[in-house]
Amino acid sequence: MSTAPAAGDDRVVPRLARPRDCVATGVAAGLAEHLGWPVALVRLGFALTSLVGGAGLLLYLWLWALTPWQPGEQAPKRRAPVAWILLAAAAVPLGLAAVSGGPPTGGPAWFWPALAGVGLIVAASAWAGFLDRPDADRGPRHEFAVRIVATVALALVAVVIVFGPAASEAPRPAFAVALAAVAGIALVYAPTLVTRFRELSEERTRRIREEQRSEIAAHLHDSVLQTLALIQNRAGATSEVARIARAQERELREWLFAGDAVPDRDLGAELREVAAVLEIEYPVSVDVVVVGEQRERASGELAAASREAMLNAARHAGGEVSVYVEGRPDAVEVFVRDRGEGFSLEDVPADRLGVRQSIVGRMRRAGGEAEVGPGVGGVGTQVRLRMPAAAPGEGGTRG
Amino acid sequence: MAEASVRVVVVDDHSIFRSGLKADLDASIDVVGEAHDVESALAVVVETAPDVVLLDVHLPGLAVPAGSTGGAEVIRRAAPELPATRFLALSVSDKAEDVVGVIRAGARGYITKGSSGGEVSRAVHAVATGDAVFSPKLAGFVLDAFGAAVGETAVAGDELDRLSAREQEVMRLIARGYAYKEVAAELFISVKTVETHVSAVLRKLQLSSRHELTAWATARRLL
Repeated sequence: MSTAPAAGDDRVVPRLARPRDCVATGVAAGLAEHLGWPVALVRLGFALTSLVGGAGLLLYLWLWALTPWQPGEQAPKRRAPVAWILLAAAAVPLGLAAVSGGPPTGGPAWFWPALAGVGLIVAASAWAGFLDRPDADRGPRHEFAVRIVATVALALVAVVIVFGPAASEAPRPAFAVALAAVAGIALVYAPTLVTRFRELSEERTRRIREEQRSEIAAHLHDSVLQTLALIQNRAGATSEVARIARAQERELREWLFAGDAVPDRDLGAELREVAAVLEIEYPVSVDVVVVGEQRERASGELAAASREAMLNAARHAGGEVSVYVEGRPDAVEVFVRDRGEGFSLEDVPADRLGVRQSIVGRMRRAGGEAEVGPGVGGVGTQVRLRMPAAAPGEGGTRG
Repeated sequence: MAEASVRVVVVDDHSIFRSGLKADLDASIDVVGEAHDVESALAVVVETAPDVVLLDVHLPGLAVPAGSTGGAEVIRRAAPELPATRFLALSVSDKAEDVVGVIRAGARGYITKGSSGGEVSRAVHAVATGDAVFSPKLAGFVLDAFGAAVGETAVAGDELDRLSAREQEVMRLIARGYAYKEVAAELFISVKTVETHVSAVLRKLQLSSRHELTAWATARRLL
């Protein structure tokens, strides 16, 4: 099994692997390719050596178990309807058993063929359940059909044995075969049962995890969140310690409540996130209040302008910043308000020209409007952004 | 502040929070009692008959029915005996449904535990004089829950299920972070009028049977 060229041969020996597009298991094709022999010869070899005490069959099974698939992405495709072939093959020993119903001489002649037939039927349904299942061309319907046929066949075997002459002629072998048939029916459904069981235990694990999480959440809520709140109000809203505590509180709360809903990326969620980031980077505490329906996208122009306004407030004013988002049927409005020094657009210092460009200009281009002015009572700055619901271009409605 | 001293009872199950809050409150606030659960809160409140009870929303207690909170339970049982006592809910910005539950049980307002000692003191004074205390988030909730964002406006003054146009304006400004004084300046009305509007909204919040109040709070964890 090496990829090195064989001595005196310029043929590169391919790695022993089973092709993904195969007849049944790909063992013969893979081996033939590896040895450089015709596939038919390999198959014949397996068949002939099987006659010698089943050696070929054992080798085949061993190779099947140990040879990997060829590297690739697609699911293995088996061209031969192996499940049906196995079912059909089961008819041979079963038929043999039916005709060899003669008087027992050292044990009934039908015993081993009947048992073999039962085994083949079980093998067929196992093949359908485990190997054919992932194949999109066959799938669950094929598995279902094989199972029905297998069940009916096994039930027939059991009925014939129990109610036929065999039961009175040789009660013990008859009982064994009937038992095997009934056990076979159970095995036919084993793949489903195994899957169900796996699902069930997964479900239980998830529930336990959820319970644990809510227990932890309750505990954290009672202890850590309280402490963080205390730290914040003892340390003063804008101190370093309070900022860290506030950021931690936000993070923790997000984690605690994360199980309830997937955070939708709407404008409100976006601005809350921006607020959290700003609080870490600047000495500021940002309160975001969201009202009404959120149709605005987090990526829209309104969101970009709001982010810019919040950044400005955090960078130049600090302290407490209030953000209010209201989604109305006709428009979405965002107010960003700080309590800093305040400024008017007329005497904007050079380094704050960004406001005019990125807030007012951006909103106008997107079909909305923006006002930047002093806050109420001349304290701080207030930015008002308005985006009509049916605005052309960017920042339109969603869904 | 030249205001008269206000007698306060602090109810919270965390002693570290109680002592922290006590240290932070203004000198004009006189803490006359403390309690750590529903039962002790009832005993202390009834015994001292304070002006204001600062009340944690979540309190341990033996007799808290499912769907209610310890804070709401204290108000429900103590309020009938002490008509002069006001309740102010404190919370680590909890679930909206719990906060609304406490307001509907009779609290005169709600503030978050992250508020500074000065803010809490101002809120205590406001509640003591009969005013309502709304945080921006609570105002936002009210606007949403009464359908103000989708344009529902009360036409009759005594309508409980919708806000009047003026009340909506006041709530919007509070939600935008305005203090009462600033709201008054913006709307060219007196602070007293603002307080009247806020009290009216509080009353609607407590009495309205609008089902969205709770449905909304459950659907969104705003606070």
